[in-house]
Amino acid sequence: MELSGGNTGVVVVNLIIWTGIFLWLLRLNRRIKEMERES
Amino acid sequence: MKTISAWLLWLWVSLVILGAFYYAPPAEGFQGGSSRILFFHVPMAWASFAGFIAASVWSIRYLMTRDLRHDRAAEVAIQLGLVFGVLATVTGAIWARIEWGAYWNWDPRQTSILISLLFYGAYLALRGAVEDPEKRARLSAAYAILGLVVTPFLYWIMPRLTFSLHPEPVVNAEGKPKMQSEILQVLMASGIGFTALFFWLHNLQTRVQALAERKSAAREQGYGA
Amino acid sequence: MLQATSVLAKPSAWGSAEGWAAEVIAVFVKDWRCEFRTRYALNTLALFALTTMVVMSISLGPIGIDRTRGTKVLPVLLWVILLFSVSAGLPRAFIQEEESQTATALRLSATPSALFCGKLLYCLTLVGALELLVTPVFVTLMNLEVISPALLVGTLAAGGYGLAVGSTLVAAIIAQARTKGTLFSVLAFPVLLPLLLLAVELTFNAVAGGGGGVALPQLLLYDASVTVVGLMLFPVVWNP
Repeated sequence: MELSGGNTGVVVVNLIIWTGIFLWLLRLNRRIKEMERES
Repeated sequence: MKTISAWLLWLWVSLVILGAFYYAPPAEGFQGGSSRILFFHVPMAWASFAGFIAASVWSIRYLMTRDLRHDRAAEVAIQLGLVFGVLATVTGAIWARIEWGAYWNWDPRQTSILISLLFYGAYLALRGAVEDPEKRARLSAAYAILGLVVTPFLYWIMPRLTFSLHPEPVVNAEGKPKMQSEILQVLMASGIGFTALFFWLHNLQTRVQALAERKSAAREQGYGA
Repeated sequence: MLQATSVLAKPSAWGSAEGWAAEVIAVFVKDWRCEFRTRYALNTLALFALTTMVVMSISLGPIGIDRTRGTKVLPVLLWVILLFSVSAGLPRAFIQEEESQTATALRLSATPSALFCGKLLYCLTLVGALELLVTPVFVTLMNLEVISPALLVGTLAAGGYGLAVGSTLVAAIIAQARTKGTLFSVLAFPVLLPLLLLAVELTFNAVAGGGGGVALPQLLLYDASVTVVGLMLFPVVWNP
């Protein structure tokens, strides 16, 4: 296992970005479901 | 997409991110840890091509069934293919700069993905130029299938040409057969993750477009009544 | 024109091989009859090609490209001339049908496959005429030494065919869209690119000495593939 200095920062940022995108997509999914139920 | 499977996807991609930095060692002959970019760059290219294939399949299904939902699926697949393709090209260019010193090298793979982007753009340009939905679906389906037939030739020609016509043979040293198992595992896992993400985005976008069409159709009917 | 359309309108002509061939010839003859009236396509192709060649010759001449670099660049230029001339002159084959509204008559009277082959034949002859004009002028203007002329002729034939068949199909697609002129180039270029790459490679071999190699079978395969796909897709593109 390799653990060079700068890596932890990059990994954390990537995980935050990914989780953010993911949650936004989940919300989008929920909103689309609601709109589909209305029409 | 059910919430459980969505969260599984989240977990999967998170593990890929961790694996890319902690599990897989940096590849030999690359500048520092820059080889890790390949775990994201390559799967995005794969997802982009998957989009092209999916669009062609949906185009064929449209022509056989004349169901406009297949046409919409094809259009969204190309749109997403374009987005993923652009991202793949950009990440590839960044990596090329680090590795080979220049953003663009006319490397066979770089050129191939650029031509694919031209195809996606052309398809969307065609769609923009036809108003009638059925005619638009018919013509763009035909073009997508034509594209599918023609693109394999590029993959046969490209590697040959850049070595014979260009003096500096910049070899794309991905060294697939020599890949260490950890690198290969993370790469495959990332490929699966990105493809799943692609189809989730596809699902969302097709539903959004369907809703938008229904809304504008309802509005038009409102005026007609 | 009337004689040609009357052949197409004969019900007895359908459903038989001779009838189909007669249709193809009828379309071909009609297109050439129209073309000879205005000579629009021929003029466009010729003027475009000649102007481009003159510009290239002037800009390359004074600079004086040396032998080795010349043999690498000139095959590319030849096919660029052919590609751009074709883009300028060929799409009219279908656009003019839509614009003059004779397309509806064709849709009613002609079998799609016969129409496609008729138009293809017409485009082939246009490309052939273009190549006949361009190649000698190009070789002379650029002082090009061709080591295997047979390969050059073969490449022009196979490559020209590829240009024609690809352009015919794309022209049929864009004729029903808006902004037809620029759209043709946008759509045609990615489709024709493999063809161009192969043709350039083979032309380079013809000039510098080198066989057809693996490129020639690939070019022929491209031609065959696009023809088959064209025959299958044309009815879809043409009929609503």
